[in-house]
Amino acid sequence: MKSLKAIMAFVMVLGVFLLAACGQEKTSTSKEESSSKGSDEKITLNLWHFDPGKREEVYFKAIERFEKEHPNVTVKPLLIPNDKYKQRLVVAMAGKNAPDVFASWGGGYLQEFADSDKLVDLTDKDIDYSRFVDVALENSKFGDKVYGLPLGISTYQFYYNKEIFEKNGIEVPKTYNELLESIDVLKKAGLYPIALANQPQWPGAFYLMYLADRIGGEDVFKSAYNREGGSFADSTYVKAGEMIQDLVDREAFNPGFNGLPYDAGAARQMIYTGKAAMMLMTSGFVNNVRDEFPEFEKKMGVFQFPALEDGKGDSTNISAGISPVWSISKSSKQQELSVELINELTSVETGTAYADMSGTPVAIKGVEPKDEYVKTFTEWINAANSIQFPYDQTLAPELAQLHKETTFKLFGKTMTPKEAAEAMEKKAAELEKK
Amino acid sequence: MKAAAEVNSMNLLDINTVKRKEKSKQKLVILSFMFMALFVYTLFILYPIISTFIYSFYDWNGIETNRAFVGFANYSELFSDPTFWQSLTNNFYLVGVSVFVQIPLGLMMALVLNSNIKGQKLLNVIFFLPYLMSTVAVGLLWVFMFDPTNGPINKTLNSFGIESVTWLAGSPSALIAILIVMAWQFAPFYMILFKAALVGIPEELYEAAGMDGANDIQKFFYVTLPSLIPILISSSVLAIVGSLKTFDLFYVMSGSGAGTSTAILGTFMYEETFVNFRMGYGSTIAAMMFIIALICVVIIQVIDSIQKRKRGLS
Amino acid sequence: MSTLKLVKTSMLYVMAAIIALFAGYPFLYMISTSFKSMNEFFTNPFSALPDSFTLEQYASVFDMGLSSYFLNSIVITVLAVALVVIIAALASYPLSRLKFRLNKSIFTLFIIGMMVPIHATLIPIFVMTNDLGLYDKLLALLGPYVAFALPISVFIFTQFMSEIPAELEEAAKVDGAGHWKIFSKVIFPNVKPAISTVVIYNFIHIWNEFIFALILIQSPEKMTLPIGLQKFYGEFSVNVPGLMAALVLASLPVILTFVIAQEKIVKGLMGGSVKG
Repeated sequence: MKSLKAIMAFVMVLGVFLLAACGQEKTSTSKEESSSKGSDEKITLNLWHFDPGKREEVYFKAIERFEKEHPNVTVKPLLIPNDKYKQRLVVAMAGKNAPDVFASWGGGYLQEFADSDKLVDLTDKDIDYSRFVDVALENSKFGDKVYGLPLGISTYQFYYNKEIFEKNGIEVPKTYNELLESIDVLKKAGLYPIALANQPQWPGAFYLMYLADRIGGEDVFKSAYNREGGSFADSTYVKAGEMIQDLVDREAFNPGFNGLPYDAGAARQMIYTGKAAMMLMTSGFVNNVRDEFPEFEKKMGVFQFPALEDGKGDSTNISAGISPVWSISKSSKQQELSVELINELTSVETGTAYADMSGTPVAIKGVEPKDEYVKTFTEWINAANSIQFPYDQTLAPELAQLHKETTFKLFGKTMTPKEAAEAMEKKAAELEKK
Repeated sequence: MKAAAEVNSMNLLDINTVKRKEKSKQKLVILSFMFMALFVYTLFILYPIISTFIYSFYDWNGIETNRAFVGFANYSELFSDPTFWQSLTNNFYLVGVSVFVQIPLGLMMALVLNSNIKGQKLLNVIFFLPYLMSTVAVGLLWVFMFDPTNGPINKTLNSFGIESVTWLAGSPSALIAILIVMAWQFAPFYMILFKAALVGIPEELYEAAGMDGANDIQKFFYVTLPSLIPILISSSVLAIVGSLKTFDLFYVMSGSGAGTSTAILGTFMYEETFVNFRMGYGSTIAAMMFIIALICVVIIQVIDSIQKRKRGLS
Repeated sequence: MSTLKLVKTSMLYVMAAIIALFAGYPFLYMISTSFKSMNEFFTNPFSALPDSFTLEQYASVFDMGLSSYFLNSIVITVLAVALVVIIAALASYPLSRLKFRLNKSIFTLFIIGMMVPIHATLIPIFVMTNDLGLYDKLLALLGPYVAFALPISVFIFTQFMSEIPAELEEAAKVDGAGHWKIFSKVIFPNVKPAISTVVIYNFIHIWNEFIFALILIQSPEKMTLPIGLQKFYGEFSVNVPGLMAALVLASLPVILTFVIAQEKIVKGLMGGSVKG
């Protein structure tokens, strides 16, 4: 039996040896790559992003322009939809095959890569920072260093069915009380007042974010997030949780909302077919309507999250997510070229195409949107006293996840507002210590 | 026995030397049969398992070059983490459903197909359909089946006068719903196993039982079931081990969200590793999953060898 | 007597019908949805039959160029399944028919493999694939696919092989057959049900495999079908009818494999070689 053991050991050694041998081979090829930096050499840049459809077309156009200027460079784009994207990127960053240029949502997620020394510091690169909307740039700036260039600003607002509102004699609600009144009217008419598909947890999180902003103003989050005396257990968050549960008790939403995935279309279906009257959603919904159920666009209206009568928050405050944010990974062998590529991906030309084709405003100055919805959203952004980025993208990933979970449980009424707020603060304090 | 023929022809040699030679030759044979499997296995399974155990002693986000050794800190955190215990409990429900629902259901399907029912071939394919689909498709389809307002399941309940259930939104209804889908998806797999085993039961056994005046039910209990014992044990091993590492269906049908009522070890580990950037902690969860499964497998093996001894096979 | 038989038969049919409905309805729904237009899907998402059949979803599947993904999937699946059957059957022979000291330990080692949560292996396997220079090659998938299929395949094979009566083997031994001959002439032909079970199981899993294909492949021309299906996903939306059409098409090779493999079981029985 000894020899069997010996042979097994041999198998393992062989495996290790094979690995080592191939490792050797790998280093020699990478040497080749770095030595072949001549200007006529064929260079490939890998670009990863998560935007399908019209947005992807916009990036393709930008890549075409870039490749025209650099005939020896080929950009290989790779599209991976949402949550798989995060996983793919983590694995790639752990290995050696990170893409040269990649998209993200900025915030706490990107910061994780910045803190792990995986990103190129863009602060002093050849980039004209004056073309960006300042506040959008903040989302990818960590400790005075810029790690990503923003393109889109996806605003969150209510979409509603004008026909239903008219038929039931409802005006667009300006205040939260008016919203509650209209909910009661719609309920009596046998409709679902608000469509919600909260299985992915972020659609419900919009409510917490907006309510907290309206109740206590933007500083509540800022001081809790920056750990400057603020707290996630602040009475504002408890109140916001209570108001969410009040909406649930009023049956403002369709039944079973916590079990409906948003992407499969249950919530959109209710809006399209007039079973539900309103939905709080990102500006990307405009494109969904056009792709999925164009006839709804005629009936569709938009309004901002209403003001709260006795709240401290400014009613012009808007919540919006920045995406995509273009970054360069440190392992890229073509950093200067990559800088040029992300410059093109955030140029005024790209921004204009993005605003016209995606239904979403951009973080680039000097873009004149033609689309009616984008015009409205852009006006809201410009008039806003402050812009709140979504918590789940701003906070450190672990806290972001907890935020989504606790809010989900508030909607499901399996957690009290106080418990939810305290759980958040506990985790925030814990992470601060680390 | 085997060496006997050779010993005759080489009666000058010491029998012990022959035996030793035989033995080392046999070792070589054994190895040559298993070499490929062991090689691939070592490379792609053992090496990652070892890495996982190593990572579990570090505080590491998975991407940093530096990682801090923390000893058993991750393990002690895990044992005081309520999500771990909740996930483990859910995994045990899952094991229960796999063994006591999926396997009997699979056996029932195999028996139906093994009877002299008409349209066997078509039924065979229909029964098998749930198993061929990817989990992503399964998740998506059942989200529609379970739709709280207009889904076919609630419609069926309504027609029996039962009120609609908000299946995937509630606790424990969400867990129950996913377990139903698990049973739906995996019963056909056991059906295939049982069918393969059923064809192996010699017809003579049934004939003999028939001559002794056994009816169909007696035939099932005295012929079919005893013949299926090895495959029942195998199925249980597969069910237990498979349910401990389940991931996809829970992920697709309940979204991530380890803190929620449908968390299982697989989704918990995924979330810590790839969403929360806690590779070290995630590896600890994975390591615990191995350990739990190993214990289960060893227990089953012990039972299995006792069974075999009883049947006089070993 | 005959009424009793009638009751029994009708009970059997009722049971078969219930199982068939339970098993088949979601699939039926999938087919039905694949014939709906986007507009109809949103108007009548739950109807069992579309008001007007449209083939536009199927047309769009072909327009998307899913056929090259299809081809890659076929190549890698067939290759991996064939390898698994051979490697696993070989390894199972000594484990099930020969006595040696490490037998139980090696067997347990293989069983542990069934336990490995795939997500725990992603980073080590990704790094290794890079080191082997296989990243972004279709071949990169072969190793993980075969390795992850081995435990259950070895498990199924050993169970079936250990049930083969010793007399069959003894007869071959008397004729002077060595281990290789015994394996190829006696053992392997006698585990046809196991082979078809292993083929069915692994074909399905490899055909639908997503996560390794996601992390190890980067170029579109090398992607497999499950990755190709991602084209139906939007930022926060899925093109459900389109995806269903693609899934219906994707399930055809699996159904075909199943039917063929099942025939083999029956044939094996007819040949009289399977007696467990």
